[in-house]
Amino acid sequence: MSPSVDVTVGVLALQGAFNEHVQLLRQAAQILASRDNAVKRRWAFAEIRTAAELAACDALIIPGGESTTMSLVAERSGVLEPLRDFVKVLRKPTWGTCAGLILLAESANRTKNGGQELIGGLDVRVNRNHFGRQTESFQANLDLPFLRNPGGKGFDTKADPFRAIFIRAPIVEKVLPVVGGRQEREVVIDGTVVAPSKPVDTAVVKDFHLGDVEVMGVLHGRAAALDEAAKQRLDAEAEDIIAVRQANVFGTSFHPELTGDPRIHVWWLEQVIREVDQRRQAN
Amino acid sequence: MATELPSNGAATTNGNAESNYTVKTGLARMLKGGVIMDVVNAEQARIAEEAGACAVMALERVPADIRAQGGVARMSDPKMIKEIMATVTIPVMAKARIGHFVECQILQAIGVDYIDESEVLTPADHAHHVEKHDFTVPFVCGCRNLGEALRRISEGAAMIRTKGEAGTGDVIEAVRHMRTVNAEIAKASAMSDAELRIMAKEIGAPFELLKETAKLGRLPVVNFAAGGVATPADAALMMQLGCDGVFVGSGIFKSGDAAKRAKAIVQAVTHYKDPKVLAAISEDLGEAMVGLNVSMMDAKDKMQGRGW
Repeated sequence: MSPSVDVTVGVLALQGAFNEHVQLLRQAAQILASRDNAVKRRWAFAEIRTAAELAACDALIIPGGESTTMSLVAERSGVLEPLRDFVKVLRKPTWGTCAGLILLAESANRTKNGGQELIGGLDVRVNRNHFGRQTESFQANLDLPFLRNPGGKGFDTKADPFRAIFIRAPIVEKVLPVVGGRQEREVVIDGTVVAPSKPVDTAVVKDFHLGDVEVMGVLHGRAAALDEAAKQRLDAEAEDIIAVRQANVFGTSFHPELTGDPRIHVWWLEQVIREVDQRRQAN
Repeated sequence: MATELPSNGAATTNGNAESNYTVKTGLARMLKGGVIMDVVNAEQARIAEEAGACAVMALERVPADIRAQGGVARMSDPKMIKEIMATVTIPVMAKARIGHFVECQILQAIGVDYIDESEVLTPADHAHHVEKHDFTVPFVCGCRNLGEALRRISEGAAMIRTKGEAGTGDVIEAVRHMRTVNAEIAKASAMSDAELRIMAKEIGAPFELLKETAKLGRLPVVNFAAGGVATPADAALMMQLGCDGVFVGSGIFKSGDAAKRAKAIVQAVTHYKDPKVLAAISEDLGEAMVGLNVSMMDAKDKMQGRGW
């Protein structure tokens, strides 16, 4: 059915741990290729610093790093609006880790004085540096049920947990109502910034349905280093949301790129393949 | 690419299998491709953050002033560091004197994100550096050559920088130190285990770390440039030589238009391979720091010789 196709996956390389993602994407592609039923794919994994480079991508990873730095450099390098188009207008598969999750949220708090630009795409509010400063950074074993389905052996994180690294990590503090535009109710909250609205291009993305935010992973029993006011804002939940997906956008608050464990990259590339094949058939 | 830092934690546990070393080196990886700027107060920290710095280094006097004013340079007032921490949301680093582990304990207690055990301050110990593995806060240390870098990593440093010659605005020493490290790694990469044992002895580095470095073809932790970077071109030069990011000390706030220069250096570190972008951002930056010519300096005036 599908002949050999070229798929270009970009990793935003404005700042941060972008090279680590490229390494894991290469590993993940090898694992996919080694499977018996594998359709031969020719992958290209590219570092993205300009709008022209972004335009060549079928999918994108926004890595860990400093989200304020990335948004400022993106703006000054003329890639901020192209990124918003990529995620929200063209609705191409995009995955953000840590700083990337912050940028892909429709709403974020505890940002720098004067706020910061967001790309948006996920109807969630993230809380930056949720656990505190670097001395509160940690590793934890995660069970990620979504890995169980496609991966075959070794992907059951109940038996073989995903060792996740959280570095000055954000969390999804609140799953917001799906509004398909700017989160107006978030604007009025003190200290919160929101992403601008960009309607999907239905000529390119046919039959698009935004859908709800799916919680893909939670972290249990970790005391957040929050002040009292912030604690009261939080929903009374004993667990922190650390992985979410909505339509084409996937976000994790931890760093799979620091583990040498390619399982999430394998799973995500499978989602990318599905999306790319669907689009090529539809057009 | 031979110079990739493997994402697999196994290569970089540095003898601390289930310690927090992965978490410590992890923050350094998040700083890659970024600029860390020296700031002396909250106002400068805000300028740095708005310019796109990925972290700031809080200190009382930038190296150029330490050099000019002389005297003993020590850890900064914790109050001033805490003000900066309260002002910006990016990571805040602070400097401790070489070997002064109590200054490090204090910096950890106030919650800084990284400690620079730095030759820019007056050393507190004639022979020892701080044992850094025991701290939960990660450390960055300077080096002039491979042996020095690996000794620091062996003590627990989770990030390395060139020493360069701080406070001069003259990039020649940072270049020298980066080229020296690169040349020594290239030499080590072609050696047998037996030869590496001799080299380890000669450069005063642990054999296992040297062997790992030789295999990787680069230092096993993130390595930034520091000491004399004053222009976007200097920053891009250090990136093209293989550095993972750049510290800028006196170069920004001792120049004519600090905010503009800071922004330009941030852009230069992202687009370091693109001379057209570098040309555009180098325009009309105003006065660079006046600087000191390192070749005219007395050996006793150089900071890079501090540390062992």
